[in-house]
Amino acid sequence: MSRLLGVLLTVSVLASPVQSQDSLIARLRRQADSLLSAWRDAQELAAVADSLEQVRATAGSDTIAVGGLRIIANPSPLPLREAAERAWPVIDSLYGSAAEDLPRYPYIFRAVDPDSSVRRTVLHVGVELPWDLDLRGTSTVLLTTVVAPHFDPVLADWLGTALRPTLRPQDERTAVFVQLVTAPSEAVRRCFLGDIVRCKVVLQVGDSTGLVTQWYVTPAEREALVTESFADYFARGATAPSLQRCRQHRDDACTALLQSLPPGSLPRPLGHAARLVLVREALRAGGRDAYRRLVASPNAAIEARLSSAAETDIDSLVARWRNSVLAARPRPLTLPWWAGFAAIGWTALFGFCALRSSRWRL
Amino acid sequence: MIAMFRAVLYSQWKWSRLIVVLGTVAAFAIPLLSLQGAARADRGAMQTPELLRAVQSWGTLYPLLATALGLLMAIAAWAPDHRGRHIHALTLPLERWRYVLLRFGAGFVLLAAPIAAVLIGSSLAVLTATLPPGLQAYPIALAMRFAFAVFVAYAVFFAVSAGTARTAGILLAVIAALILVQVVASMANLNLDLFGAAQTALLLGPGPLAVFAGRWMLVDV
Repeated sequence: MSRLLGVLLTVSVLASPVQSQDSLIARLRRQADSLLSAWRDAQELAAVADSLEQVRATAGSDTIAVGGLRIIANPSPLPLREAAERAWPVIDSLYGSAAEDLPRYPYIFRAVDPDSSVRRTVLHVGVELPWDLDLRGTSTVLLTTVVAPHFDPVLADWLGTALRPTLRPQDERTAVFVQLVTAPSEAVRRCFLGDIVRCKVVLQVGDSTGLVTQWYVTPAEREALVTESFADYFARGATAPSLQRCRQHRDDACTALLQSLPPGSLPRPLGHAARLVLVREALRAGGRDAYRRLVASPNAAIEARLSSAAETDIDSLVARWRNSVLAARPRPLTLPWWAGFAAIGWTALFGFCALRSSRWRL
Repeated sequence: MIAMFRAVLYSQWKWSRLIVVLGTVAAFAIPLLSLQGAARADRGAMQTPELLRAVQSWGTLYPLLATALGLLMAIAAWAPDHRGRHIHALTLPLERWRYVLLRFGAGFVLLAAPIAAVLIGSSLAVLTATLPPGLQAYPIALAMRFAFAVFVAYAVFFAVSAGTARTAGILLAVIAALILVQVVASMANLNLDLFGAAQTALLLGPGPLAVFAGRWMLVDV
């Protein structure tokens, strides 16, 4: 009897933490559910507030339609129609057939007094523009604020920037050329020298495993990245000893530190412009439906989407990208042709002044 | 005339040989120093930005050297005449403009040495360096730019030096007046930017100092 009592007592004592743990999990789950419910309520309220704000912002406004562009703006001297007529062909050439869907993403503008001391209603929807903005400035605003249709988060994450018409395509490619030559990365240099596989790596097109060693090929690059870009980040807590070892040229420590970075925080060896130029190249190669194909399968791999958009294999597309970038080499830093003549002219002028001087007329 | 030019050249050489020699040495050394270490065989992609930074930093010395050479050569060309109250020049059977032209020309001939030194130093530096792929060297363009800068600087300071104290006073007065007008305009909240306008006129487009502006890169993308 006492043995049975002892067993029961032992079982109850052993079970009590399990029971309390169970109740803790249940409590946490209830809290999580409550938070989720509160978040959903907040989302609904935000959506209502947003739509009310949108109604308030667009009240008494006119709608201008040019091509697929829809511009909702209050009456003002802003040259919105003329600007839209200028911007539409550029936007249409980028998004192609997908530009037909742009009416779903109207611009909301509010022309305001350029005098900043004038009090005005605060709106949280749309863009405020001074009503004296000229045609060029207004066109630029339309081009730089257009919402890319069906632009999914995966593409946005990979691209790292918005896909909009560029005002200076040549400058964009030239910037990539400079990056290819000056980036402190062996992988980028090999890409510059014609290694298409390396180009795919630095553009993050294809296999994304082991990015640390693929992007930063040499131990020196990895060490420089840790000690120059992430020294503060790794200097505290458990990573501090590894940072010390990395500083002592221990590549395993440097690599481990870089691999411990949160996803997406490893600096790209090439800037956003490189990927942007690649997408533009794919869209140019793929014709009018290229953009539609690019955004058609948000779950597909980036290389597959780019290939589909360009209607060519990814290696050919990357090679095409590289060729276009190499063709955009910046102009050398030589003096313009007229500078030599100007310098000689000024020299002659000052010399003439000296000849005419009256100094020794004593 | 050639004999006269030789005589003027010789006298000017005597007065300015230290400037010419030191300027030539500096002009030869700067390109070599700017590419120091570029010949290393183990130069990786990491060093490309460093190399460009070094070249750009050293590049600031070219316009400074050009200005210094122009200034010192112009002073040296006129200093003995100023000291002697121009008596020697007045005793020569020569019009003033011819005499000034000879002095002016002699200065240019002497300045050819530092210009040639920049060209030789740059070419040597580029030949001995292993440049990373994608970078290009511009020794001839750099030397030409240096030549133009030296000529303009020399001509400006030569003209000022050849002028009277009254001319120098007028120049200073004009500059002081510009500063004064700018200060008054700023105090009166007027939208007047004389310094900006002067900077644009002097340094941009075909301005007299435009050749000094911009980056002086022996090696660049």
